[in-house]
Amino acid sequence: MIRRYLLASVASLALAGLGSLTVMGAPAAQKAAKSSPSASASKKPAAPAQSLITVDGVKDIDPDKAVGSKNAPVVMEVFTDFQCPACKQLYTTTLQRVTDNYADSGKIYIVHRDFPLPMHAYSRVAASYARAACHIGKCEAVESALFQNQEKWEVSGDVKGTVAGVLTPAEMKKVQALVDSGSLEPLIDHDKQIGQAIPITQTPTSVLHTKDGQTYPVVGFVSYDVLKTLLDQLVK
Amino acid sequence: MMQSAPFNYRRLIIWLGRLLLGGIFLYAGFSKIALPNKFYWPLPMLKFSIAANLSNFGYQVASYKMLAPAGVNFVSHVLPFAEVLLGLLLLIGWRLRIWATVVSMFMLMFLTVVTRAYLLHMDINCGCFATPEPVSLKKILEDSSMALLAILMTVFAYQEAGKPHPWSGPQVPPPATT
Repeated sequence: MIRRYLLASVASLALAGLGSLTVMGAPAAQKAAKSSPSASASKKPAAPAQSLITVDGVKDIDPDKAVGSKNAPVVMEVFTDFQCPACKQLYTTTLQRVTDNYADSGKIYIVHRDFPLPMHAYSRVAASYARAACHIGKCEAVESALFQNQEKWEVSGDVKGTVAGVLTPAEMKKVQALVDSGSLEPLIDHDKQIGQAIPITQTPTSVLHTKDGQTYPVVGFVSYDVLKTLLDQLVK
Repeated sequence: MMQSAPFNYRRLIIWLGRLLLGGIFLYAGFSKIALPNKFYWPLPMLKFSIAANLSNFGYQVASYKMLAPAGVNFVSHVLPFAEVLLGLLLLIGWRLRIWATVVSMFMLMFLTVVTRAYLLHMDINCGCFATPEPVSLKKILEDSSMALLAILMTVFAYQEAGKPHPWSGPQVPPPATT
């Protein structure tokens, strides 16, 4: 009987330890989230030369990589890597529906942030082509093609071919010129620095900002039905 | 007077298995429920946080491409809680033979699934804990060690169950009747 009590105590201590570990971790996460990229003074990355905008306190937004109304009650920053499978899943399932049901109706302003991970060989190249395509108004088509065909180009490395498949030759020429000039690279670096300042620990990560200054980082893949429960609370 | 148990390698393995596997199962289940999203208050945010974490785990289960969506949904919503329960039961030691057998079966299942993904060169996270860990040879070796420990713990638990416990004291013969 004594042995049972001893073992029950060990189990209780283990549970208490796990609980306290998580509770101690929570304030740090909230603090990190609240200090949002734009608000952190010490790690504030230098803004690149291109025209970036501020919406509801969220600074350094590339309007070409954003969808929805700037007057929306919620700004949603989405940090993704084009070669990350969970990002593909988030983009092709959850984000498409969020765009259709919340961004298009002016409830949410979605900002796509590039966060290419060094472990992925072609994600930076993909980010460059996607950024260039966004600057000629072909953001959705190219981002969608890159995510939909991720399993092909991550093996072949043919990012350019994937992008060319959804653009006209004239559009592709413009995109290629932008990529070759390297003029958009600082924007990608800037997004990455913003993510590192939060800090982003894994992709995808979505950070939701409300008008009253609250920040909610949602880490990892989240299904539309689950995300909807949070969005409905925030857009009220 | 109560005496401590004499050193016995079978008992040592059982204790090691219970503490290590119990702790690992408890943490594995807990991390899937409580991480990486950590909103604890108010209650709707806690519900969202748990649902988002289970959704994230569900994506990892689906990435193994072994189950239909209904199966993925079932596993992602049941496995984390089952792991917490099994971890606690191992630590407490109640009905050890039964739960050690269940844990061994779980470990063999995990080992099979991870090995399959590795052999198929699947570029996925193992989904073992909340932090992303790619399926690798290291992960297979870890799972193999834990499966071996679980099996040894189970076998020894059955063997030791047939013997009187050292704390139970000497058997007193019944008084002779005339």
